[in-house]
Amino acid sequence: MDNPDPAHQRKYLQTHESLSPAEHQKQIEFQNEAVVHLNALYNYALHITMNPDDAADLVQETYLKAYRFFNSFERGTNCKAWLFKILKNNYINLFRKNSKEPGKVDYDLIKDFYHSIKDTRSDTTETDSDYFHSMLHEEVYQALLSLPEEFREVIQLCDIEGFTYEEIANMVDSPIGTVRSRLFRGRKILRAQLEGYARTYGFTTDTDQ
Amino acid sequence: MNCNEALVLISAAVDGELSITEEQHFLQHLSKCGECYSEFEEAQKTKMIIREIIVRFNAPQTLINSVMQLTSLSQKETS
Repeated sequence: MDNPDPAHQRKYLQTHESLSPAEHQKQIEFQNEAVVHLNALYNYALHITMNPDDAADLVQETYLKAYRFFNSFERGTNCKAWLFKILKNNYINLFRKNSKEPGKVDYDLIKDFYHSIKDTRSDTTETDSDYFHSMLHEEVYQALLSLPEEFREVIQLCDIEGFTYEEIANMVDSPIGTVRSRLFRGRKILRAQLEGYARTYGFTTDTDQ
Repeated sequence: MNCNEALVLISAAVDGELSITEEQHFLQHLSKCGECYSEFEEAQKTKMIIREIIVRFNAPQTLINSVMQLTSLSQKETS
């Protein structure tokens, strides 16, 4: 399109020329170690805030902090877990403080969120969207979203993000035993609900028939 | 190990988070108890259903851009 603005180019070059080799190295390392997890962080943020703008703010704030404290990241440990921990702390500081009480479920918010993401996904392949638009998906997804936050959180971190119990314990500031029992209890609630839907829609997870 | 003790361990077993001793006793029980074995299979399936049901989004391009910029901007601020 237009020729690149020479002034802008100069500024860009200057910024980069002024970087010391160590700073430049830090930048490259940060891209490789931390920025690669942007999608995972965004998805997690989206599911805890249920709002795309809040999610984007939260992720941006997280990266700003992560970059500032990147020197304190212990090399060789799980960078994704480190970023999730920062995001979690940011979330508590930015959103939770003066909004809803912890553990309280806002069903209207969940319904709105589900329908807004459903709309953005309408461009997917036919099989995908058939499934996505089925009642089963809606109800199961909402069942998951409706779990009290302390249960939903650990299920998401474990099942979706694949973190170990130790990593999750560190993120949610609780002992491993607590993580373990929250997963156990959360899944129990969820399964009871899944079985309810399975019966309603004639869908069964039983194999022995 | 009895059924009640085994049922409590199923969730952690699905995640591969049992201690070595727990796992030994748990597997031993499963090999003898069909009911607990199918409970275990159900729990594995539930985990898979959750994995499949969660919708994954791509981060918006504006966010990607600002994160990329962030690193070089904060560099300028601190230097």
